[in-house]
Amino acid sequence: MKKRPHIFTRLLGDSKLQPFVIPVFSVVCSLAAASIVLLIIGRNPLIAFRSILQGAGLLPRGSYSAGKGMLTDLLNTLSALTPMIFAALGVTVAFKAGLFNIGVSGQMLFAGYIASVTIGYSDLPAYAARPLVLLIGFACGALIGALIGLLKHRFNINEVVSSIMINYILQYVIGFFILTRHIDPVSRQSVAVSAAARLVPQSVHYGTLKGDLPLCILLAIIVAFILRFVINRTRYGFDLLAVGANPKAARYAGIRVGSTVVTSMTLSGALAGLAGVTHYLGYYNSIQPKSLTSVGFDSIAVSLLGNGNPVGVLFSSLLVTVIDKGSTYMSSMVKVEREIAAVITGLILLFSACGAYFKYLAERNQLAATGEPANSEKKDDGEGDA
Amino acid sequence: MDVVIIDGLSYALPLLCIAIGGIYSERSGVTNLALEGLLGAGAFIGALFVAFFGGYFPTGSLPLMFIAMACAMVGGALYAMLHGLLCVKFRANQVISGVVINILAMAITVFLTRQINSTLFKSSDKIQLGVSPRFDVPWLSKIPIIGAVFKSVYPFEVIIVAVVAIMWYILYRTRFGMRLRACGDNPHAVDSAGLSVQRTRFAAVMISGALTGLGGISFAYSISANFSSSIYTGAGYLAIAALIFGNWKIIPTVGACLLFGLARSGGYRLANVLALPSSFSDLIMILPYVLTLLVLIFFSGTNRAPRALGEIYDKGKR
Repeated sequence: MKKRPHIFTRLLGDSKLQPFVIPVFSVVCSLAAASIVLLIIGRNPLIAFRSILQGAGLLPRGSYSAGKGMLTDLLNTLSALTPMIFAALGVTVAFKAGLFNIGVSGQMLFAGYIASVTIGYSDLPAYAARPLVLLIGFACGALIGALIGLLKHRFNINEVVSSIMINYILQYVIGFFILTRHIDPVSRQSVAVSAAARLVPQSVHYGTLKGDLPLCILLAIIVAFILRFVINRTRYGFDLLAVGANPKAARYAGIRVGSTVVTSMTLSGALAGLAGVTHYLGYYNSIQPKSLTSVGFDSIAVSLLGNGNPVGVLFSSLLVTVIDKGSTYMSSMVKVEREIAAVITGLILLFSACGAYFKYLAERNQLAATGEPANSEKKDDGEGDA
Repeated sequence: MDVVIIDGLSYALPLLCIAIGGIYSERSGVTNLALEGLLGAGAFIGALFVAFFGGYFPTGSLPLMFIAMACAMVGGALYAMLHGLLCVKFRANQVISGVVINILAMAITVFLTRQINSTLFKSSDKIQLGVSPRFDVPWLSKIPIIGAVFKSVYPFEVIIVAVVAIMWYILYRTRFGMRLRACGDNPHAVDSAGLSVQRTRFAAVMISGALTGLGGISFAYSISANFSSSIYTGAGYLAIAALIFGNWKIIPTVGACLLFGLARSGGYRLANVLALPSSFSDLIMILPYVLTLLVLIFFSGTNRAPRALGEIYDKGKR
């Protein structure tokens, strides 16, 4: 009865390696699909992918203008990476409790706006302004998150609907205030925040090169590890996972489901707030009125690709940010519209959404190969991740 | 007053069409956050037809528009197959699948629109459709106040009203509709009656895509007059709010969509009458969303989602 395991099973079947193998498998599949698209329109995919890496500062380009180098590109990528990590961590915390925070963009906008108005337009010195910006961002995001959590807990309003509504309300109300009070007539954006408040100092000298100094990237990485500790090693983390896996069972076990829902949404919002300040007062220094950043939506995808693991999120954020940052350079190198970057990201997500199915297939093949009867409990495993 | 009703209806009816698409999918037990993406994908296929074959028709011809609408429905249904495949066959988390479908739809349609335009037509980043012609219903439009409902009607509004009536009949009065609803509430009962839950859900998701595509191309033919990334204004999400507000039932959802449409056009009219500067119209734009939130706060206690909504059907599960 013993059969040689299928190649697919050998690749994906090892349950210890699955958290790494499945995302990598998704990325490879989507790059293959993107290559086919590029080949159809007659471009060389290898050159396209290389120029993405070059544009993001991971490989040297052919030539640079004065004062710029690979380091400049890399630092710029890192400063775009910071908000992505925070936002994706926010989504991850909510996912763990079985909640879906689609309102990250709105929370980012709110935090960014309030921090700009209070600290960004003041003349506080850098050592006071920067910590305050982070603090305000954290608090503002937490406020919106708590509101969504309360609406869910008290009034039974689906968090997806309430956060979408809140997204629109914030977008228009803040747009109104920016357009009437803080508009820069030239750029049609909000007035730039002071350099002291900006979390990413610009044009810092590194030898002969100039570049950004992405201060908060370290904070983002530390937060990711703290979050991993909280989720895996503390009682609160256990409550979170229990509520996410089965709220009814959690309630029988004596876990306060309502307060767990509210706190996880608050924490998620707070992280989104940090993403907001590192985006609007870091990577950028102004806010475009009446628009939400795509970071908030991409972060959902990034969190998914990171398999709901805070440290995995670090890697998936890097991947998505690199593709996004490199796409402009690629677009000019191989003459293809830069929107293909979004297509590649979308395809990666599509394949990672099938992750549970890959897992299920691999397990079924494994069972078939070892001759054991398939049991339904094993099948259910795949669904718990999200 | 007439303007409020005319504009309100021309926004509410496509929204209703999309919301009913959502109802079909959700009543069969498949959460559908992908409406925004399906709307865009459907409208894109319709617009693509116009871009390639529009030259063979006289400008502003109605047959062209009707064929574009049919294409949008087919396109929406085909793209919805992806959501069906992920949710029904591949056991993906339905919420995640919906978001992924949205992101992918925006990426692909915007990319293809630009790529096709730059290589084939050497033009800008949008496909021009023009605004659909309007007509007055002969004598009904003469009635005071109510007559506004029949004044300067878009042809697609008539089609949508007909489609909605048919969809209501199918969902509540046919065997297929009953099975579909049963799949959302008690899939095991459907299975034990010897029917395939998977197949019914797949069909429901495809119908959802077709209806959403029709709604999408209607928006493209009225509000934006072209296909570009501006089609993604969040109407899909608003439709989700409308159907939840309507408690996953068609008739209350009609009311919800009318409320959204009229609140929107009424707000614009108000800003117009009070001669407020244009920045104030942004504040008025929040009206439908604030209304939704308030209404949900008061009514969502009695809301009941389909019991098996969002669950992957597993035969062995009790």
